[in-house]
Amino acid sequence: MITLHHCPQTRSMRVLWLLEELEVDFQVVPYPFDKSLRAPSFLSLSPAGRVPALEMYGETYFESIAIMQILCERFPERGLGREPRDLDRPDWLVWLNFAETITQHSVALTQQHVALYDDSMRSRTVMKLEAARLEKCYAAIENRLSTPVENRDHLLTSGFSAADIAVGQAVYLARFFAKTDEYPELSAWYDRITDRPAFRKALPPKEAGVYSRDFYPAWDE
Amino acid sequence: MSTVLHHIPGARSFRILWLLQEMQITPTVKTYKIQDGSLRHPDFMAKSPAGRIPALEIDGEVIYESGAITEYLCETRPEFGLGRAPGDPERIAFLEMMHYSETIAHLIAGLNLQWIFLRNPADRSETVCKLEARRLQASLVPIEELLGRQDHMLASGFSAADTMVGFSLTASQRYVRFDRFPKILAYLDRMTARPAHALATALDGESNVFDKDFYEVEA
Repeated sequence: MITLHHCPQTRSMRVLWLLEELEVDFQVVPYPFDKSLRAPSFLSLSPAGRVPALEMYGETYFESIAIMQILCERFPERGLGREPRDLDRPDWLVWLNFAETITQHSVALTQQHVALYDDSMRSRTVMKLEAARLEKCYAAIENRLSTPVENRDHLLTSGFSAADIAVGQAVYLARFFAKTDEYPELSAWYDRITDRPAFRKALPPKEAGVYSRDFYPAWDE
Repeated sequence: MSTVLHHIPGARSFRILWLLQEMQITPTVKTYKIQDGSLRHPDFMAKSPAGRIPALEIDGEVIYESGAITEYLCETRPEFGLGRAPGDPERIAFLEMMHYSETIAHLIAGLNLQWIFLRNPADRSETVCKLEARRLQASLVPIEELLGRQDHMLASGFSAADTMVGFSLTASQRYVRFDRFPKILAYLDRMTARPAHALATALDGESNVFDKDFYEVEA
């Protein structure tokens, strides 16, 4: 049996999406986004007290991108990984890792807008700076999808892969803090991949999740 | 074909400098400075589209993201035994530690933002600095426990998990007091004693970012 330890609207959502794409049997153990992740029982699954953790046939795994790599290697038939020596292997690795580069800024912004409980702890400058960094990440994706010959439908030339899931989910989180309107190729790609049934199944149930609003703008000076 | 590493002294690109030395590859090092806008230059953006360090030109490819570069180097140069390929009994631990090194590094990056990159110190939040330093310290506890059981990130010995995590541990010392982490300190002594680490350090250059060895909120 495969069990995903999951908080809606966090990094574990990318593993949930991947599991749905893989069409394997699994169950989800939901957690609230709070101190329950520091409980000893959860720390034994994920040493830093972070979601996701994955249990699969008696083994436990942590780190979302590591889990995605492990699942792609374990279930190669869906073609979402790119094996060593595949032409797209370097790009697959780059974009899978880049998802975390994007997400660290969304996490910092979540702290600023959602987690800190007193306004005096928040900083307009940090809000603006981190949102600007997200836009730089958008520009990198826009650039990747736009080529002089024929624009890419997906991040890899060879088509949809776990890289789209990882980066797509990172953009899902980033969109709470930085709008994508000025990035037409990114927007079209995002619409394309989030139209997949597996993505919709990974969305949070009503009223669950980290974010109560659709968008958190940086505060004005 | 020449190998070129796009580099900032003391940044994540040190991981690649060190790993390349372990593989007996000495790259041409192109050094950048965050403050002078050189990372935004179109020539560099063409190689690393988000303007991030490191990027590595090798084998006719340009690869960025230190984790991606590390996996690529291990997969294309298996003769050095520094990766753990799919199917290896340590494959899982290898991938987990590769990515855990970034969980640590992101906490450091958050502290770098607060301490170094906010131009106006009034923007710095003491609460956030304290909170993030505590979280960084907590992220090191599993590493200290791991090193109570084995000498390296992987039980079988030195690997690219050490070049990834080793850098994160070194950089953590700017924000966390290590007296409570004796096993990590001993581990770092072992890592810095490696000839390849010394060669990488010689190529690394002086940090152009940090002006202090330790940053903390005054009591």
